[in-house]
Amino acid sequence: MSAATHVSISTETLNIQDAYDFVTDPAHGAVDVFIGAVRNHHEGQDVQGIAYDVHEALAEGVLAEICQEARQRWGGIKIYISHYKGQLDIGGISLIIAVSSAHRAESFDACRYLIEELKKRAPVWKQEHYEHGPSEWLPGHSLKVGTHG
Amino acid sequence: MSEITIHVKFFGAFRRFGESLDFPVPAGSTIAAVKIELQKKLDGYGLVSDSVLANDNSILRDGEVIEHDAELSILPPVCGG
Repeated sequence: MSAATHVSISTETLNIQDAYDFVTDPAHGAVDVFIGAVRNHHEGQDVQGIAYDVHEALAEGVLAEICQEARQRWGGIKIYISHYKGQLDIGGISLIIAVSSAHRAESFDACRYLIEELKKRAPVWKQEHYEHGPSEWLPGHSLKVGTHG
Repeated sequence: MSEITIHVKFFGAFRRFGESLDFPVPAGSTIAAVKIELQKKLDGYGLVSDSVLANDNSILRDGEVIEHDAELSILPPVCGG
């Protein structure tokens, strides 16, 4: 991890101010923040909450790798990523990605890259709990080589 | 041929089987063979086919060979965010 990148898996409530404080920089005029939150519906079912399961060691490595890729594509950016592990109710924050850069285009593009790659590659799983019916682990992207390009 | 013990930790949908599973395989087995053995131990659970085995550093390719006792994880398709 460099002074320009923060990656963590947290069982504590994610804090947006922490993300902003990390990426803010006197030379950067743009900060883009993506926040993932638990919604109350999924494919017609009323959702009560989500449990996030994470392979912590591998996830931190994958997130660091994705950040390195982003910094190679958009030089000079600062990145903060924190993913929650554990149970969240509706509205709970599951993910914060913050990117800062000199100008807005790099921040928007890098932030989009980071969330899309995270969803395909980070070893994280969601178990949705429903108002009616049994809980379900959601389907996702296979990590088999060649399937997440 | 000597046997080694594979310890597999479960994540996501595999948690229906508990926290982990230990089982023997012949030393020198490939990751593909370990997955087949795991699937047998889990009553043919189909999700094994779409999942990968990993250690704490990386995903292991099907052709990789395991010579010694190992602690691995079975990772189903991911959906973070």
